[in-house]
Amino acid sequence: MKHIGLALRYVFIVAMAVITLFPFVYMLSGSLMTYQESTSIPPTLVPAHAQWGNFAEAMRQAPFARYFVNTVLVAGASTLGTMVTTVLAGFALTCLDFRFKKALMACLVALLMVPYEIVVFTNYSTIADLGLLDTYPALTLPSLASVFYIFYLTQYLTAVPRTYYNAAKVQGCGDLEFIWRIMLPMCRPALFTMGLLLFIGGWNNFLWPILVTNTTDMRLISNGLSAFASESGTAVQLQMAASAITIIPILILYAIFHKHIIEGVAQNGIKG
Amino acid sequence: MSAATTSPAKTAKVSTATKVSTATRRGPFSYSAERQPRAWLFLAPALFFIALFNVWPLIRIFVMAFQTNSLRRPKFAGADNFAFVVADPEFHTAIANTAVFAVVVVPMGMVISMAIALTLNGRMKGGRFFEALFFIPYLTSVIAIGIVFRYLLNGDYGVLNFLLGKVGIGPFDFLNDPRLNMAALLIFGVWSCLAFNIIIMLSGLRSINRNYYKVADMYGATGWQQLRRITLPQMIPMLTFLAIVNFINSFKVYTEVYALFNGKAGIGNSATTAVFYIFNKFYVDHKYGQGMAAGVLLFLLILAFTLLENALLKKLSK
Repeated sequence: MKHIGLALRYVFIVAMAVITLFPFVYMLSGSLMTYQESTSIPPTLVPAHAQWGNFAEAMRQAPFARYFVNTVLVAGASTLGTMVTTVLAGFALTCLDFRFKKALMACLVALLMVPYEIVVFTNYSTIADLGLLDTYPALTLPSLASVFYIFYLTQYLTAVPRTYYNAAKVQGCGDLEFIWRIMLPMCRPALFTMGLLLFIGGWNNFLWPILVTNTTDMRLISNGLSAFASESGTAVQLQMAASAITIIPILILYAIFHKHIIEGVAQNGIKG
Repeated sequence: MSAATTSPAKTAKVSTATKVSTATRRGPFSYSAERQPRAWLFLAPALFFIALFNVWPLIRIFVMAFQTNSLRRPKFAGADNFAFVVADPEFHTAIANTAVFAVVVVPMGMVISMAIALTLNGRMKGGRFFEALFFIPYLTSVIAIGIVFRYLLNGDYGVLNFLLGKVGIGPFDFLNDPRLNMAALLIFGVWSCLAFNIIIMLSGLRSINRNYYKVADMYGATGWQQLRRITLPQMIPMLTFLAIVNFINSFKVYTEVYALFNGKAGIGNSATTAVFYIFNKFYVDHKYGQGMAAGVLLFLLILAFTLLENALLKKLSK
């Protein structure tokens, strides 16, 4: 009886895992099919000969290399920028005392409730007012600070006793030196997870780049991919190849750092 | 240094108890509240961007919602935009679809995720491995996966229709039949929401005190009884949190629709959602005022749910 129960559990989990993974596997398999194979009935599961040329063809039809570079630059700059502003703010909120600190914290908590999907439109108006549409600053500026990650970091830092700061102060250690030499090493795991999640978020960002970019050259990978999907019509195998190009870097990151990523999300209930 | 004026010996003699306690807690070399205004210097970069891209846009939504649709020379429009949006049949469709999405995807997603999380949490080999697998959809581009789903759901050569044909149903033209567009979106929605739920549920299940189960085992409680009497009651705060986070996210569904229907909201906007409505008003029709009026309504709806979440969680954690 116990064995049957255990077997059923495995059957269930494996079935659900297949449902979860099938789109990814099929994407990779489809990216290597000929057009005939990709649209055959019954569906082809594994191509007879791997058509690696599909990747070259997709890259030829749309500037995915350019999208790739854009995305790395923008996601990288946003990640770095957010980390700097967040560390500085986190330091001030945990180590220093100042007037209106409680009020400021309350305001920040309230800002957490503001949905990104709504302010993104008025942010577009702001960027348009600044004359920055279709530029790298437009893509990067709005994601250089994050209320969410300020809380993420301060929560982590409150575990670091204030006495460390006071002791460092007594020894004549400046604020920036304290941040660099004591605070950063102490919160390295939190910063690392934060960096990973920020970068992945930036990589997958879609609504913002589609609003503020007009020209092909400024697209990020997600909106480049969605444009390619409508331009390439029925060339399913090329669409699969392009989707794979978009996803594989993140899958590689995940394969290496899955522990950090899962822990980071599980601890903080991030959704975004 | 001003800190020197409050030496420990002196403060200990000060009669006001509060002064003593703060001074001793912080130590003689710390600075008192008003003396570290340089904190603002460290906060400045973050606050600058937060003010410009979180606070200002929020204010602006409310301003634009009461203005005419012109960006250059907006005039005060009173509640005209709201009147238009509330009477707009397309907005009704958007809200109805958003509600259907929330009502179908959230419970289905929660039940399936819970079943997976409970199974993985048991004494199962490779639990961590499967956990890592189930989490993949959370990290991958919705657009890329949406393109794959369009392929899977294709009415002519899609795998799903092939499988359904095997059991004698269909074929369904999920993408080109407006009556089936929502069904396609719901399938995609349920599939996408599992990853996050499973991870959060597993971390909740792992935080339940093992001793409860040991005692229950000792008294011969069955697995089912343990689930009902220990696991579920312990998980209620977390499940409430998840349910509401899921609901709020359902109100914000947008990219899934865009990906699945190639930049449209289904055939004849049949699968439009609240955010898609705002996007179309704002970006396609350039009806900024109307778009933002819809934005205000959606914002208030989400705010109500967020406040409800906080109130519920406070009550449950007592």
